[in-house]
Amino acid sequence: MSRATLDRAAVALLLVALLAAPVLLDVLGAPFWVNIIAEILIWSLLAASVNLLFGYVGLLSFGQALYFGFGMYGVALSIGHWGVGFWSAFAIGVLASILMAAAAGALAVRLTWHYFAIITVIFSLIFYFVALSSKALTGGDDGLSFAAPPVLDLGGWKLSLTDPATQYYFILAVCLLCYGLKALIIASPLGLAFAAVRENDRRASLIGIDVYRTRWIAFVLAGALAGVGGALFAFFGRYASASYMVYHVSGEAVVWAIVGGAGTLLGPFVGTALLVLFRELVSGFWEHYLLAVGAIVIVAVIFAPEGLVGAWNRIGRRDAAQVLPEADAAAAAEART
Amino acid sequence: MSNLVFALAINGLVWGLIIALIALGLSIIFGLLDIINVAHGDFFMVGTVAGLVVAEATGSFWLALAAVPAIGFLLGLVVERLVIRPSARLASLTIVTTFGLSMILQEMVRASFGAQPRRMAAPVPGTIPLFGLDYELYRIIAALFASLCLIGFFVFLNRSKLGTWIRAVRHDRETATALGIPVTRVCAFTFALGTALALVGGAIAAPITTVEFRTGIDILPACFMAVVIGGLGNLQGTIAAAVLLAVLEGIITSVGDPTIARIVSLAVMCGVLLLRPHGLFAGATR
Repeated sequence: MSRATLDRAAVALLLVALLAAPVLLDVLGAPFWVNIIAEILIWSLLAASVNLLFGYVGLLSFGQALYFGFGMYGVALSIGHWGVGFWSAFAIGVLASILMAAAAGALAVRLTWHYFAIITVIFSLIFYFVALSSKALTGGDDGLSFAAPPVLDLGGWKLSLTDPATQYYFILAVCLLCYGLKALIIASPLGLAFAAVRENDRRASLIGIDVYRTRWIAFVLAGALAGVGGALFAFFGRYASASYMVYHVSGEAVVWAIVGGAGTLLGPFVGTALLVLFRELVSGFWEHYLLAVGAIVIVAVIFAPEGLVGAWNRIGRRDAAQVLPEADAAAAAEART
Repeated sequence: MSNLVFALAINGLVWGLIIALIALGLSIIFGLLDIINVAHGDFFMVGTVAGLVVAEATGSFWLALAAVPAIGFLLGLVVERLVIRPSARLASLTIVTTFGLSMILQEMVRASFGAQPRRMAAPVPGTIPLFGLDYELYRIIAALFASLCLIGFFVFLNRSKLGTWIRAVRHDRETATALGIPVTRVCAFTFALGTALALVGGAIAAPITTVEFRTGIDILPACFMAVVIGGLGNLQGTIAAAVLLAVLEGIITSVGDPTIARIVSLAVMCGVLLLRPHGLFAGATR
């Protein structure tokens, strides 16, 4: 079997497994795991958001939890406070994070290197404190709970997220759509411009690419991905809280994205799945499992900086190895000039 | 009312000097090794815990204050060798490895020290009158001690041979290597020194803050604000910014609430990054 068919078979197998999961887990007598897979899917969107910026455009953001939070609050506020329907709430959540990313991105992408990482943290911290202090609106650290309205209401026939299987398939469908759109964008001329900016922004601008605009578009798209994740998470937990906007959440997403493989389509999903499963399996009998997570992160970055999916790809194609270190070297050279 | 403003401003000054000490460590590590140490706040936290534990074990806070820098220096050497040096070639990924380190430090403290926040009695009881208020004497001593450490650091950096080496490596790594300066060892030493500064800051702050595994998460943004507003790698600027920001936060806290004060200083930092990315005090010294 050639390498390409092997990859395709693995992706197909993963898809089948994800589609069959609720039925399969029910038969195995572990329906509880359906929710964990749903959670992995949701968080992997936040990791994908980090990955779009870092892996494809070379900007390391430590503040993507802000847009996740906007998606989350957009849904929670519009349902809990304003009594809006399901789809409108979803749209408001995603739109809120897109607008926030457009505004923050316009300022943030003027900076690169460490400065970019720092300013993304500042934006998320500012709004974390705003959400924390406006308790009447957001509920602060205690959060905001609400009852989810039905997804579809056709006369007497209702489709509602209260059914775990329905909820799971809804989350899966939205995630597949997001990953599909991301794949299309990466393969498009815009995706090539992303790669050009990542590899060398000076040469990219010489061949006529508007570097600032390209980075800004990537920032807005990443904000949208995180916003979809946040909106799904709000529906999933019927809950929103400022504690999901703190910079440690962003940091975890960075970890998932990089352990899985920056600059690969499935890397964020693989990284998130690995670390969430690790948490679920180990935290039951070892309270201090975070020690191991920290160690895994450090070892992964030192020995496989291209991540798990990246390492797998490298075994397949030796020439594609040095993407990350080169991007880093270019950024370092730029920072010094 | 104005007495309260003064008291909070003095409070800010005390905190500002302690934060200056910690931020100085962050700044010198950044200036020399070009890495952003996300675990620096947790080094501070380890300092508060180590201070409390040693003080309780020996019965003397001053002994703890002497022991903590040594603990910090050793911890820094180990971390530099195991985490920083192997990942340094991937500069931006050191943010990720130090984030992993931050998880490990927090979890180690939680496992050994417990998750419950603890308070430490002031080693020097009593108050002194200040602007018509009774002000805790220990806070004044803490501020003086922090200032002493800052002065000591600059004397070391500007007068000793090792300090000259550090400045040389910071200025031009290649030339320093060519002149026979052991750059790798100077970098390891500097990282350990920066770590020791964070732990000392923690030990000084232990009696005036809560001691628990989470405090690093709160202190890190304050240190970053000082470093960024002062100018990345600009040491004097870092100290000035730390003190200014803390006094500003103290004064705003007297009229609004602490969260508003935090938001204001974050907004200041945001503006400085966008308008003067090399810091408010760039050009004066670099």
